[in-house]
Amino acid sequence: MTKRLVQGNEAVLLGAIKAGASHFAGYPISPSSEILAQASVYASKHPEFHFLQEEDEIASANAILGASLAGAKSFTATSGPGFSLMQEAIGYGHKVGIPCVIVNVMRVGPATGMPTMPGQGDLNQTRYGSTGDYTSFVFYPSTVAECYEYTIHAFNAAEETRSPVIILSDAFLGHLNEVADLDTIDVPVVPRTIEPLASGGTRLFSGVATYADGEPATADADEYIRQYRESRDQRLKVAEKYAFYEYGWNKDAETLVIAFGITRRIAQPLAPHFALFRPIRIWPTLDRELTEIAARYKKIIVIEGSDGQYANVVERMLLRRVERVPLLGGRMSLEAIREGLDAIGMLPAQPAPSGSESPARVG
Amino acid sequence: MAVKDKLKTDLFPTIWCPGCGIGLIMAQLATVMDELGLDKNNTVLVTGIGCTGRMGAYMNFESVYTLHGRTLPVAEAIKMVRPELHVLVVSGDGDLASIGGNHLLHSIRRNPNITVLCNNNEIYGLTGGQTGPTTPQGTNTISSPAGATYTPINLQGVVNTNPNAYYAKTTVYHQGAMKKAIREAIEWPGFSFVDIASQCIENNGRRIGFASANDMLQSYRTEYKAAPPGTTHLEPHQTGIIKGQPLPVAGTARSGNGSGE
Repeated sequence: MTKRLVQGNEAVLLGAIKAGASHFAGYPISPSSEILAQASVYASKHPEFHFLQEEDEIASANAILGASLAGAKSFTATSGPGFSLMQEAIGYGHKVGIPCVIVNVMRVGPATGMPTMPGQGDLNQTRYGSTGDYTSFVFYPSTVAECYEYTIHAFNAAEETRSPVIILSDAFLGHLNEVADLDTIDVPVVPRTIEPLASGGTRLFSGVATYADGEPATADADEYIRQYRESRDQRLKVAEKYAFYEYGWNKDAETLVIAFGITRRIAQPLAPHFALFRPIRIWPTLDRELTEIAARYKKIIVIEGSDGQYANVVERMLLRRVERVPLLGGRMSLEAIREGLDAIGMLPAQPAPSGSESPARVG
Repeated sequence: MAVKDKLKTDLFPTIWCPGCGIGLIMAQLATVMDELGLDKNNTVLVTGIGCTGRMGAYMNFESVYTLHGRTLPVAEAIKMVRPELHVLVVSGDGDLASIGGNHLLHSIRRNPNITVLCNNNEIYGLTGGQTGPTTPQGTNTISSPAGATYTPINLQGVVNTNPNAYYAKTTVYHQGAMKKAIREAIEWPGFSFVDIASQCIENNGRRIGFASANDMLQSYRTEYKAAPPGTTHLEPHQTGIIKGQPLPVAGTARSGNGSGE
């Protein structure tokens, strides 16, 4: 039991180490750089932990694929622009079936954008950033303690799905210092699920469509569909074990607020006036859970740090209109939320008292 | 073990065009692997995209057929995690020197103990014959109808930015020299690069006036001359080996803070 101040980015690193990670490859980028810097410090004291500052994010993402195939649990950390550069490698990880973890501490994009300001505009990129069809696993914690906890889950899910799993964070959460006792967080660790390279076989790990014997299957639709469905179905089945969300606040209210990551924390003073649904697993979406909960409410408001990326998902999922409070340009504050609510005529009449409850979670 | 045990001969014939030079490299590589005792338990192949990348599929080893240009970060990471393994990169000039050029610059700088075999056919063969980073200036390709505009990349110069690296220039015609270079490169403690001139008759040679693969091989015989012993810089169309100062203990840096092994 050691309560101390922990930073969000540090908690991610500690979670990775707890999960058994032994290989970090990365490239400096705000606001994720503390993870890289602290990984280098850890590596300097723990020779079994490999650290390499790469020449770019393309190298970083490909390096963690190679490290994982070689036998190490591996990870990298980046932000939007670097995450964009990693997309092809993420697709390779999905195609070949390589467990690894990518941390994306979101800032405001597109392009170089606003490097030190928080954003939530990479949700679609985590789902659709690479080419073709694949099944992404993405978790987005809300507290420093959760950064630790869900990083362990991310490594576990990566092993179980044999795919690159993404932890989302943001400039606020990554740089947030909170008192936490990480020793009290106990998540069982899933061991490696792939046989390391040079274990006596002659496997071909190929981003090109191939049959089991390594021959090209580059014009065989039936084989493509068989392999794709097999991996999709396997990953969706694993998803049932990782259905993380929070449902709370004033459940008797008429309106359900959907907010996640740091936005849920900022919106906390609205607790008396609204019910809350917070997806922690962003992808695959929590269709069953959200559909059931949303049916109890007359209105739904999605508050998020993008111009409707998650609101669009909810509308398509529920086939009903949702209200939107987009927090843009890094202006993620209670004041901005109130202005957004006012603009859609949903601002509570009474000034809401500031709440201090801790997030409650399910899953 | 026989040399043919290094190959998945049941997958033959290969996808390579008749007359392609890649098979000549694979045959010598398999021979050297047999001589040095490289097997599926101690060796991993990392290949890139391009015709050469298919080599991993035809050899009895674990192999990683990476994304286009990304052999080196993958190979370096494998070597970091498993320093006891021989890690061999086999790819083409387009994959290594163009799309993967930044990785080449930086892998060389870090001096990982890996070996790179570069099938240098001076063309993008798999995509039909476009100008590559090694295409000689003036060459007619399907993307340079008036002749390639720029001078080719200086691979020797790039590799030799690392004073501890091994660089060899050879050709598929010079089988004995190529075999020696592959063997020395695998045994070299640190980064080693074998730059192998190799013919692509179908998507390069015929367009530039060669009637057959044999004519291209004969041109290697007549155009390339062995550099005299002690040469420290190879001229164009010279074959030879430039050895840096081998580090006493080779390995991949374990820490980005400079604490190499």
